[in-house]
Amino acid sequence: MSVALSPLEHRPVNAEESGLFSWVGTVDHKRIGILYLLTALFFFAIGGTEAMILRLQLARPNSALISAEAYNQIFTMHGTTMIFLVVMPTLVGFGNYFVPLMIGARDMAFPRMNAMSFWLFPLGGFLLHFSALTGGAPSAGWFSYAPLSETPFSSTQGTDYWILAILVLGIGSVSTAINLIATILTLRAPGLLITRLPLFVWMTFVTSFLIILAIPVLNAALVMLLIDRQLDAHFFLASEGGNVLLWQHFFWTFGHPEVYIMALPAFGMISEIIPVFSRKAIFGYELVAASTVAIAVLSFGVWAHHMFAVGLGHTADMFFTASSMLIAVPTGIKIFNWIATMWGGSIRFTTAMLFATAFLVEFVIGGLSGITFAVAPIDWQVTDSYYVVAHFHYVLFGGTAFALMAATYYWFPKMSGRLLSERLGKVHFWMMVVGFNATFFVQHFLGILGMPRRVFTYPDLPYWGTLNMISTVGAGIMGLASLVFVANIFLSIKRGALAGDNPWEAWTLEWATTSPPPHDNFTEVPPIYGRRPLWDLDHPSDSTHALEPPKDMSFDKSMVAVWTFVASETGFFVILIIAFIFFNASLPAGGPTAAGSLDMKRTGLFTACLVSSSLTLYFSEKALEKRRHVAAVSWLVATIVLGVVFMLGQANEYRGLFERGIVVNSNLFATTFFTLTGFHGLHVTLGLIALGVVLARTLAGDFKNKSTSLLRSVGLYWHFVDVVWLVVFYVVYVRASR
Amino acid sequence: MTTLGIFSGLWKIDPLAIALAIISTFLYARSQANRMTPRTALFATALLFGAIAMVSPVAGLADGYLFSAHMLQHLLLLLVVPPLALMSLNEARPTRARSASEFALRHPAIPWGLGVSAMWLWHEQTLCNAAAQNGLVHGLQEISLLVMGTAFWWPVLAPRAIDRLAPLATILYLFTACIACTMLGVIITFSPVEVCSIFAHPVDRFGVMPVLRNDWGLSAARDQQLGGLLMWVPSCAVYGVAILGAVRRLYREDRHELGSNGGALS
Repeated sequence: MSVALSPLEHRPVNAEESGLFSWVGTVDHKRIGILYLLTALFFFAIGGTEAMILRLQLARPNSALISAEAYNQIFTMHGTTMIFLVVMPTLVGFGNYFVPLMIGARDMAFPRMNAMSFWLFPLGGFLLHFSALTGGAPSAGWFSYAPLSETPFSSTQGTDYWILAILVLGIGSVSTAINLIATILTLRAPGLLITRLPLFVWMTFVTSFLIILAIPVLNAALVMLLIDRQLDAHFFLASEGGNVLLWQHFFWTFGHPEVYIMALPAFGMISEIIPVFSRKAIFGYELVAASTVAIAVLSFGVWAHHMFAVGLGHTADMFFTASSMLIAVPTGIKIFNWIATMWGGSIRFTTAMLFATAFLVEFVIGGLSGITFAVAPIDWQVTDSYYVVAHFHYVLFGGTAFALMAATYYWFPKMSGRLLSERLGKVHFWMMVVGFNATFFVQHFLGILGMPRRVFTYPDLPYWGTLNMISTVGAGIMGLASLVFVANIFLSIKRGALAGDNPWEAWTLEWATTSPPPHDNFTEVPPIYGRRPLWDLDHPSDSTHALEPPKDMSFDKSMVAVWTFVASETGFFVILIIAFIFFNASLPAGGPTAAGSLDMKRTGLFTACLVSSSLTLYFSEKALEKRRHVAAVSWLVATIVLGVVFMLGQANEYRGLFERGIVVNSNLFATTFFTLTGFHGLHVTLGLIALGVVLARTLAGDFKNKSTSLLRSVGLYWHFVDVVWLVVFYVVYVRASR
Repeated sequence: MTTLGIFSGLWKIDPLAIALAIISTFLYARSQANRMTPRTALFATALLFGAIAMVSPVAGLADGYLFSAHMLQHLLLLLVVPPLALMSLNEARPTRARSASEFALRHPAIPWGLGVSAMWLWHEQTLCNAAAQNGLVHGLQEISLLVMGTAFWWPVLAPRAIDRLAPLATILYLFTACIACTMLGVIITFSPVEVCSIFAHPVDRFGVMPVLRNDWGLSAARDQQLGGLLMWVPSCAVYGVAILGAVRRLYREDRHELGSNGGALS
């Protein structure tokens, strides 16, 4: 028995399916996935070359191969490139290609948005690299700590381009995450319950929530830094009352979940690969899935362990030591589950499995050094030393990158129809393992010996030169290994052995179709009774369960998208509001204040306008549901008018402030006020445009026969904007004006 | 006064707490037909934490002395006592709750909002100060925390499974609440905002300030920091545990439908 998928009307097909242009204009999730992977490979070559230059400079003490300025730029670019242009896009690329296949769907929920998300990625990459032509690449590190990243200390435009690039990439990531959530919730094949999802899909799902909540925090902080740099404000400049630690708080509120954004999908890949090559179902599926949720929740509560050295106080250190050690527990659970899966299995050490096994070893080393940091006193000793460099490379390279290589060997046959060469693969693997450990294991010792990180050279102290030379030689071996890898990919695409549909005898749905899959992925999806549909297909006698449709809630994909978007926007506004509260609690005397400059009564009147616009919009939705078009249009027009009146009120408020000389860089009240209300105004404007589009389509008669989904989606966004204003009004006009 | 003196002498004879304890014990005993079950232990634990919050020296110190003690009281009443009490109930329940829980299921934002605003509202400067000084407001605060806490936890831990949110929705419900209280915790911990000015300069009715400030090392700033951290880390741990419970429920409910999965070798 099979389930034929109904043709989906949302799947646009290009007229032209070959040639370069068909790739540029593609909305096919498989092609977009490959574009992600190839572009990430391109940036990996750049980021890897940068790493080689850094290692060459550090090979000998007192080396003058490159200048300090060049070193700072290259090391900033290396970190930023590897995180934002290599690891994240590669994970997204695999997610794009395989999530729809693994859930038996034909494409992502929003194929066009998917293409947009992808094209933002090269745009961000080029913006970042374009900075080199404007007088210098960014040089404040991938973390851009203030005040180093502020104009007085980074006067070239490098940091501005860095900010713009990360903003663009962040927007792309959020839209991808929204798309993945909507896809996984709404497009699963019949029978594929949420509890039966392949673990890679489940972890991608959880990661997507981390992305929509963590990235906006970074975006808000980046916007503040940009306002500091371009409009001469002082969010993070202590000399004018700003606060440099606030940047660190914001950055690591994003930064620590980011670690798990980069690790969780990799865990998912390992959870797919180890069972297949051990010929056993994953041990403790539920525990692996549940520990993922635990990690995601905890990841938002541990960021301050990146800041033990800044002097948060013993009380805070204690709590964060505890919570940071706690997060090791769910991660440890996963490790034990993977080992237990291998235990007693008939293991086939293909290259994919070798990389997965090496992942276990290297990631445990990285995890253990991570636990040592959780103890504040140890952290004080080794922070900002090469011990940290060793730690995060074990997590991100030995962990995530090894998992990505395992996934490449595992899934390449599905994408290309041909197997990667196992012979070259083994060469690649052993060179990588030797090179990686040679490069980074010795850095633990360098760190303990006291070698600081982020320095372009070092004095000739005992052992430093030798250990650094070992590290550089190791990096060279890794570089050569990467060349073998790339060669393997390009040779095997043309000449590799044909893979067939299911070369590894795996059990998940992507192996139920041809390699590479046809444009529409499946003609029919096998029936799904459990977590391993293809195993069930081969063992019909064990599968006695009747096929039932998913009993999970059914979701409307556009509502899922708007809700997740609203959640993301909430994160952005929460950070702006926190910044306002933070700075207005103790303003330096002298400048304008909320109490002295704002008119609560007048703005209250305009607030009433905005709130009643939510009501009129609600009436419009109701009228449309009842097919009363004239009433719907009238209420919609009333909504737009009320929104415009509110915006005029805001404009009047701004005009009054400007006339009294209060502008964005007057003091921190003015800066936070204009930032918060300005961004809110921008959202109202966007909402008005969206309402205008809805109005135009209503007048054109689009809703005569169709569902009212568009109006409901835009309506939800509009209500959200109004609720945000109520909070802003309370915080800015009522609370701060007392 | 010494530390020992605080623990022996600062007990608070709160008529409200005693009345609540007696009434709830009476009602609970009746709902259980006066029999002891394993659930009774949960109810007793709820009573114990209620007593720690409202009668023990924690309550004494929360009356204008220590912000962190106030926070502990706040969290126990909002996040510990109501869920324990709900878990101690068995399925038989007054029919009047039916329409209320149906409403809560249809609009989970409302119990969510009650639970979260209980955190935020009572930490507005004016309300927080008033509650620390005025016995009447304080009683109102304690009752509102219990009520709002019960409303918040009902869709998660209602005695009957059909009154609960679906597991995935529960996870989202709790996770967003965790984020909301993290935000408040962050503001209280790290910002210069004075949350309750009353705790900065307490009126030392019992002469314990030297012990608190010197022996315990709790300066006003550190006291507020500790309070913020309590709101942030342990309360998120409570939500985290509840989230894991929801994940467990997710897999429990579907286990009987999973066919050939259980660890079979191929």
